Amino acid sequence: MAQIRVTINGKPYTLAASPDTPLLWVLRDTLNLTGTKYSCGMGLCGACTVHVEGEAVRSCIVPISALADKKITTIEGLSPDGSHPLQRAWLAQSVSQCGYCQPGQIMTAAALLAKNAHPTDTDIDAAMAGTLCRCGTYQRIRRAIHDAADKGGAK
Amino acid sequence: MSAKSNVTRRKFLSTLAIGGSGFIVSFYLPGKVTPSRLLQALPDENPLTLTTASATHLASEGFKPNAYLEIDPQGIVTVQVFRSEMGQGVETALPMILAEELEADWSKIRIVQAPASRDYGDQATGGSVSISGAYSTLRMAGAAARETLIAAAAQTWGVAKDSCYAKNGAVFHSSGKQLSYGELVATASKRPLAEPRLKDAKDFHIIGTRIAQLDGPNFVNGSAIYGLDVRVQGMLYAAVARCPVFGGTVTSFDATKAKASEGVRDVVKIDSGVAVVADSTWNAFKGRDLLEVKWDEGTFAVESSTTIHQKFADLISKEKTKLQPVTGRGVEATYEVPYLAHATMEPMNAVADLRADKFQVWAPTQDRQNAQITAYLAADSKHPVDLHVPLIGGGFGRRMVVDYVEEAVQIAKAVGAPVQVVFSRADDIQHDYYRAASLHYLRADLDAQGKPTAWVHLIASHGVDSSYDLLEGANSLPYKLGSMNVVPLAAQLPVPVGYWRAVYNTQNAFANESFIDQLAAASGQDPYKYRMEIVSDPTMKRVLELAATKAGWGTSLPAGWGRGIACHSTWNATPVAQVAEVSVEPDGKVRVHRVVCAVDCGLAINPDMIEAQMEGGIVFGLSAALKGEITIEQGRVQQSNLSDYAILRMDEAPSVEVYIVPGDGSPTGIGEMPVPPIAPAVANAVFAATGKRIRQLPLRAQAVGMD
Repeated sequence: MAQIRVTINGKPYTLAASPDTPLLWVLRDTLNLTGTKYSCGMGLCGACTVHVEGEAVRSCIVPISALADKKITTIEGLSPDGSHPLQRAWLAQSVSQCGYCQPGQIMTAAALLAKNAHPTDTDIDAAMAGTLCRCGTYQRIRRAIHDAADKGGAK
Repeated sequence: MSAKSNVTRRKFLSTLAIGGSGFIVSFYLPGKVTPSRLLQALPDENPLTLTTASATHLASEGFKPNAYLEIDPQGIVTVQVFRSEMGQGVETALPMILAEELEADWSKIRIVQAPASRDYGDQATGGSVSISGAYSTLRMAGAAARETLIAAAAQTWGVAKDSCYAKNGAVFHSSGKQLSYGELVATASKRPLAEPRLKDAKDFHIIGTRIAQLDGPNFVNGSAIYGLDVRVQGMLYAAVARCPVFGGTVTSFDATKAKASEGVRDVVKIDSGVAVVADSTWNAFKGRDLLEVKWDEGTFAVESSTTIHQKFADLISKEKTKLQPVTGRGVEATYEVPYLAHATMEPMNAVADLRADKFQVWAPTQDRQNAQITAYLAADSKHPVDLHVPLIGGGFGRRMVVDYVEEAVQIAKAVGAPVQVVFSRADDIQHDYYRAASLHYLRADLDAQGKPTAWVHLIASHGVDSSYDLLEGANSLPYKLGSMNVVPLAAQLPVPVGYWRAVYNTQNAFANESFIDQLAAASGQDPYKYRMEIVSDPTMKRVLELAATKAGWGTSLPAGWGRGIACHSTWNATPVAQVAEVSVEPDGKVRVHRVVCAVDCGLAINPDMIEAQMEGGIVFGLSAALKGEITIEQGRVQQSNLSDYAILRMDEAPSVEVYIVPGDGSPTGIGEMPVPPIAPAVANAVFAATGKRIRQLPLRAQAVGMD
């Protein structure tokens, strides 16, 4: 059993779980931060995307042993009140259908905008192609990313 | 309940059970009890009836005129959403209908998922009938409540009811007096229910607008609770080892290593396999990896996609010998499609807590009534069960089956603690209730103008409920085809099949619309013009024309590109036509650039949601056309994750334009309707680009390669 110290959404935690436990399961089952989702468990779909030191990371394949002293942001911490430009744009563009993949979509898009304030469609394709949506909301996701970028959305 | 509301309820029950399209949502595998039959068999005193909506009414002084809504003294309108929300928008659209007639202030609407209850008729959410089935009843329910509130205001003011009207959550008098609904609930709840007076459609100001999903903010901040997110104090997590071969059973198992694995609390045998129960999902999965099970794989272990294909081919060969010979020019073709998995983003799961006198089950399910009965029977057939339906991370028909409920209850019973059963992605793909594979033989007799005078369609597959399922979308087409001979040929196979968005409309539309296209080509005619000449249904004609016009049918495209058209009315409820523009690389790689979709759904309750369903359903159908395939080898599914059962990615998705035919009257269905036409539209576009006819899905580059 490891004791790994991390910061999640600005708060300090000591994660006590076996060191090979993927961050995803500690978030969901130990810390009750269920906004980060399980879908494939193999890093293929992006539903589990969080930020580690500002980088988009697939938490289902990152063991907590790799996270000592790291700053982690989950969807719950992206903004205190849903005010991140992407969250606003997601609502303005009525992106979600079932909504299950959307935390992962938003976290991936947020990491994109933090690096590239005005992504082209090609940039968006490259950044988002690995984040899957079974309901098929892709065209609205794209529109929402442009919308957030247009409104100065790199936060 | 008054006699009047009983009449309303009876009528409502019949409306919901049949649905606007005439499609009866029937229940699945032979041998499983269907809830409608069971509900009739249970006496009224049965504990199940305790979980009716009436049991949840506000303790305080609210106005609760019916099972759908209650208004509190603050004017908050709580709407019981009696159908499952899985992204199709019912939890917003059904309240829109109610709120319209109620004249509610939309900002005061709150929603809760209704319990499983006879008050709502059949709550199984499938067949794209939630809105069409409930439209009239919700209008009456809202209108009766509104008229009662108006009468309550008139009573309060001592004025004639005719001098009052309701608007946006308040009642007004011609003199300028007003009372909010909240202020009227006490009086209204003591009054008899008024006659519903329905609004004129021209006065609608909620129905027909692009209101946003009520749960929208929760989807983007991580607070939305799906089945997999449910957490109960003391809850354990279970992963079930199920026989990889369909129909196989457990002979014996050795749990020694599993039980020694970190966090594992117990290992128990249940009907569907062996459950490893642990203190976390991860530990349950890890423990299951160490479980040693000896399976009796059973007779299906020798079967494969190849042997299944052969069974289908044999059925068709035999039936072909019974056909009358062609009288004129004949065209024939064979089409084939594979098993498909649902691959919802949220894998199957359920939570069962059997500790209190009333058992609690949380299941992201499309069929809460069957889930409740299944839980009741799986537990002890004594304790009442409260069945809660959280948000659902994709349904598409998979969650009409309640296997996860039965498993959760059996495990919870065995270990004496609340349990969440979690399907891993591999479990979810390998223990699905698949869209059935099928093989189609089509033959048409053509007259001198190339128009069909006889149509034969032999369909080999296996049915969800019966062989008649195979006829869905095959035996009633919007074309003049002359004599029709459509024959379902159902094999007996233990591969579990179930409802997959649009069900047999998907296989049949691919076969039909590819073949119609083939007839056009055989007659040297443009496929759009050909359809316009043989179409017999004016509503289908209209969407064909709309889609083709908006797509610029007939205008030029770059070299290597093609346009294809297809149309289908799923459940004969909603005509949809789609035009796909594709490009084909020399190596055969197909790229779909643009899809133009025309839909006639009668009255559009929420145009934004209709567009979203069309856009999303097209992407869903494209995954099947271009990528999705479940193959079977040695009796087991070969695929195990989204790597080998791939779905469409953003960089592969076309731009989709949706045109809704303006309509009044009543709303028809939407959820499944965009799926069937897209595969044939794309296949027909590939033909236009390359001259190669696609007869098998998923589209393979080798079939298309233009070397």
